[in-house]
This record gives sequence, structure tokens and C-alpha cells, in this order.
Amino acid sequence: MWHIVANYAGPMSIGALKDLSLTVISVAVSIVIGVLFAAGRLYGPKPLQILISWYVEIIRGLPAILQLFIIFFGFQQFGIMFSPLTASLLWLVAYGVGYTVEIFRSGIMDVPAGQWEAAAALGLPWFTTLKKIVFPQALVTMLPALTSIVVLQLKNTTLIYLIGFSDAMFTATSGANTTDQPGVLYPMVALAFVIMSLGIGRIGLVMERRAAMYR
Amino acid sequence: MHVLWVTWIHALPNFLLGLKVTLEITGLALVLALVLGFVLALGRLSGVRVFEFVAMVFVEVIRAIPVLVLLFVAYYSMGQWGVKLSGFAAGTLTLGVFYATQYGEIFRGGILAVDRGQREAAQALGLSSTAIMGKIILPQAFFNILPPATNQLSNLIKDTSLVYTISVTDLMFQAYLAGSNSFQYMDDFLLAGVLYFAFYIILSKLLARWELNVQRRRA
Amino acid sequence: MSNDVVLSAKNVTKRFGKSLVFEDVTLDVHKSEVVAIIGPSGAGKSTFIRCVNGLVPFEQGTLELLGHTLEGNKKPSRSVLLDIRTRVGMVFQNFNLFPHLTVMENITLAPMQVKQVSKEDATKRAQELLEMVGLGHKATMYPKRLSGGEQQRVAICRALAMEPELMLFDEPTSALDPELVGEVLTAIKRLAGQGSTMILVTHEMQFAKEVADTVVFMADHRVVETGPARGLLENPKSDRAQQFLRRVLHPTEDAGEEGEEGEA
Repeated sequence: MWHIVANYAGPMSIGALKDLSLTVISVAVSIVIGVLFAAGRLYGPKPLQILISWYVEIIRGLPAILQLFIIFFGFQQFGIMFSPLTASLLWLVAYGVGYTVEIFRSGIMDVPAGQWEAAAALGLPWFTTLKKIVFPQALVTMLPALTSIVVLQLKNTTLIYLIGFSDAMFTATSGANTTDQPGVLYPMVALAFVIMSLGIGRIGLVMERRAAMYR
Repeated sequence: MHVLWVTWIHALPNFLLGLKVTLEITGLALVLALVLGFVLALGRLSGVRVFEFVAMVFVEVIRAIPVLVLLFVAYYSMGQWGVKLSGFAAGTLTLGVFYATQYGEIFRGGILAVDRGQREAAQALGLSSTAIMGKIILPQAFFNILPPATNQLSNLIKDTSLVYTISVTDLMFQAYLAGSNSFQYMDDFLLAGVLYFAFYIILSKLLARWELNVQRRRA
Repeated sequence: MSNDVVLSAKNVTKRFGKSLVFEDVTLDVHKSEVVAIIGPSGAGKSTFIRCVNGLVPFEQGTLELLGHTLEGNKKPSRSVLLDIRTRVGMVFQNFNLFPHLTVMENITLAPMQVKQVSKEDATKRAQELLEMVGLGHKATMYPKRLSGGEQQRVAICRALAMEPELMLFDEPTSALDPELVGEVLTAIKRLAGQGSTMILVTHEMQFAKEVADTVVFMADHRVVETGPARGLLENPKSDRAQQFLRRVLHPTEDAGEEGEEGEA
């Protein structure tokens, strides 16, 4: 058993790092797009608002696997082939945006109306108010949700081995096939994810504490 | 040009069989999750150090592991250790346990969110702690619990799709199978999407109506 | 006389959907005048002063202030609104300080952002203002660390930092513990003494009598009576004002009569 652990610890760590990198990149992109979509959802023209709310509903209503498969396999029907990496990134971002939009929207809406009023009474322009008054406060209330999105997305990366991306899960399944030792390999993946998830949670907590100093 | 409807009509009978499996797993896993979740919540609120610690570690660790990995542990790893479960049993068990940790936290949060004064008032009246929980705290916690609980139910429905990876013939399995036979993946996945979405919408509307009814009765 | 009118409201009417908030409010405010608006809750007092700086639109009438004219049902241009809000200061019932900014940052933000005052000058001015209200030592603190009375004094400084030509106070002491009311009223009184023009919605009758030049009594969605502060508060002419003042000043006196009225 221990030689399996020794043999697979290296490749699995590399796979886990790939998962982590994909998570970080996709969450970063989802945050940027999510802010824009949230602004569109709150302040854009009506059709845009409806479009964005549909998008959110669909992303949240469909199983993750199905979304990934639609991007990777579905588009093959029309002759569009994505590499596993491209498909994975596309999906992770598309999926992440469905969640970040709502986080930013409710974060912004949770800032009391009195803050907008006070800023307006001082003559602060709309965008300055959003940037200097509303957004910094919203960010603090949003941080816990953003942390859980990072964890959620990290866990979602386990799915992309299904379309052939060689990450931690891929290492484990192919290892389980060749060595016939799933009893060791899958708990190893589980452990890797426990460490990463709890680590992210910890970082999130520290950031929350820093950001909420004024409270 | 292919015709979407033709593919769909061909696929539908098998898809409905798959949907039935999906419904069964959802229902069974939900029952397990609610019961175990309540136990976990009570454990975390018991005031007994050991229970609190065990429940806390259990929740934190299970929640940190992706459902897919848990499924593989339950199906393949446990199989190697001598506990051979069918795909259906492993899937139900895994989803039940994973969502128990989610529901446990929801129950705990809902109970804690009830105003302290309510407990104090009940204690001042000399009610027993069972009566305080059953008659005072839980009825009020209900409205804190229901919205996030509904949310998690929709997550549970979606996550049942993962069981196709341990060869359960659920809706996702049927969609993938039909896709790889016809190569019209998009058509088949879209149909699966419609069915999942319909399930999700119907269920959330029903739950919303239920919540409204309870609220009216209480108002 | 007319060229020192800072604000002139003519027949201003505000509805919210179908329900009337107030109608036909006509009121002139002169330079250095302190106007106190009093009256029962729900009379539309707070909404009226929000109309003055364009936070809330109104449906009918005209508001002339600082060389601009706001007309009912017409959306003022953004530049007009900005100019008005820059020159009119407002203090809210719930302070509405920006919780993520320090006391100093709360005060310097608008001068720096809106008037392009340098950080140095803004900080210097803010410090002076804080000293004036006795909070010079709290500049680096966050609002949550301050008492309600201190927060409200900071809010007053924040408004004053823009050097407003008209100050609006929306029940500035209503959210405060009784023992903290005095410190805020003292700060406002000092401003009045320095010749600031202000409109003050308040429930503090004694304070209104001491500080205000004019008192406007609003009830049942309209202005019922306007007059010199002392005169109106001591000898109100209208029945409605007499009744209101009697109840406010002697809350227990005619409680019995009240109960019978309620049953009728």
C-alpha cells in the first residue's frame, strides 16, 4: 500500500496543482465578468437584465456535468472541437459567472439605501459612489460567498477528468485501473482536496477579518 | 439538416426511465440527508464537547471533498475494502451523507438565528428543553431553514447526475449513452437539460407555494 | 429682501404612487435664517427637505434655490442636481456615515472628489471642523467605534466640509440616546450662531424655540401654520397646532379625553 502512496504522491500533487491553477484563473475571470454582468443586471436596459437573469437561472438549474459535456461533446455535433483544457476553462468561467453575478448583485443591494442617499447629498457622482462607497462595503459582505465559490470551483475541477484533462482525479482513476488499488488512491485524492479546500477557507477567513476591520 | 424533434422523440422513453432513477436517488438521499443532518446539527449544538467536536470535524471534512471523489471512495475504494455496494446504493449513500453536512449546517444556522430572548422567555416559564426546542425554537427556525434548504435540494438534484460515473442508469447516463450512439450530443444533452430544468422548476415552485402556505397560516 | 432668499418653495406637492405625501407647501428661507419644521410623524417633513436637494422628485409646484429652478414632474439635469447637492449640506436621522472610511476620510472624501480640494487642505479643514465639535482626537477612528452623538457630530462636519450655503437637518437627534442629544444640539446651535442658513426637521420644541427664527408646522400632508418661532410655539393660532403642541409638551395631561376621542 505505501509504495502506491509513494509512487502516486508526486503525479497527484502535480494534478492537484493543475486543478488549483484552473480554479484561480477561472474564478479571477468570473469575478471580472460577474461584476460587469451584475452591473448590467442592476442598472442595464430591461432586455439585458432579463437576458442575464436567464443566464443565471440556466447555469444554476443545470447539472455541472451536463454543462461541461454540452461544451465539450455537444459542440462536436456542429464540428466545433475544443481541447479538454479549453473546454474546461470555458465551462469553469461560464459556470462561475452564473454564481458571481448573484453574489455581486446581492452584495451591492445589501448596502443600505442611506449610503447612496448620503453620497448623493454630498454631490458625489453615481460612479464615484459605486466605486468609493458602495462597492468597498459590498465586498466585505461578499467575501464569505466568494470564498465558497473558490472552493466550489476547486471541487468542480474533479469533473474535467471526464473529458480527458489530466488532473488529480485523472491520475487517480488511471492509477486505479493499472494498479487495482482504488482503496488507496481515491482517499489520497480526497485528502488532497481536504487540504486545499480547508486552506482556501482559512485564507478567506483571514481576508474577511482584514476587510472587516472597520466593523 | 437534422431534426431536433425526431432525435428527442426517439430518446424520450429511455430518458424517462433515467429520470425515474434520478428521482429515486434524489428522494432516498434527501431522507438520509435530512435525518443525518438533524443529528449533526444536534451534535454541534449539544453542548457536549466530544459530540460537538466529532460533528464539526465530520462536517468540515466531508464538505471539503468533491462529491465525485466521495462517490468513487464509496463505490471503488470501499469495494476493495470488502464493502461492495451497488452503484445505486453507493450513489444514494454518498449523496445522503454529503448533503447531510449541508443540511446540518443549515439546521444549525436556522436554530441559532432564533432570537435568544425566545429561549430565555421559554426557560423563564419553566419549559423543558425538549419543549423549548420542539415548541418554541424549531417552529421559528423553519423560515430560516426553508429557503437555503430548498436551494440545497436543487443542488442535490443536479449532483445526482454524477452517479452515472459509477454506472447507475440515471438521466445523465441515458443522455450520454444516446449521445454516443447518435453522435448528436447536443440534441440529447439539451433534452436532458430540459428534463433536469423542468424537475428543478416544478420542485422549487411547489416548495415556494408550501412556504407561502405555512407563512399565511402563521400570519 | 427678495434677493437674499436662498430657497423659495411654491405650492410643492409630492405624491408617492397614489398616496399623498404633502401638498401645496409654500415657504421662503432667507440667508442666515433658521427654519424649524415641526409636526406629527407622517406629515411629509422629511420628504420635503429631501425634495430641496433633489434626493426625491416632486410632482407639482416649483422650488427656486441658489439660482436654479426645480419644477414639478420635470427631471432636473445632472449638472443642476450636482451643483445643488454640492452647495446644500444634509444631515440624516441615522447619520449615514460611510462605515468603511475613517472619520477623517468621511469628511474629506467629498471635498476631494467633488471640489478637487487637495488632500492637505481637505484634511486641515476637516481637523478644524472636528475640533469645533470637540472630536479632534477621533479623526482616525471608524464610525462604529463612536457613540451615536459623536457619529452625528461627524456627519455634521462631513456636510460642513463642502461649505454649504444651506444646511438641511432631518431629525438629527431622533435616533440618539437622550443623554447624547445635547452635544448634537449644541453643535447645531453654534452653527446657527455663525449665521448659517438652515432648515431643521425636529421634535425638540425647546430647541426650536431657542434656535429657530421661523417655525413651520406641518400636519395632515400640508403646512398648517408658519410664523416666528417663539410666537408660534407659545401661542399657536390654529387648532391643529395647539392640539399637537399640547400633546407634545404635556403628554399625560389629556390622556383621558384622548381615549374617549379614540373610541368615538
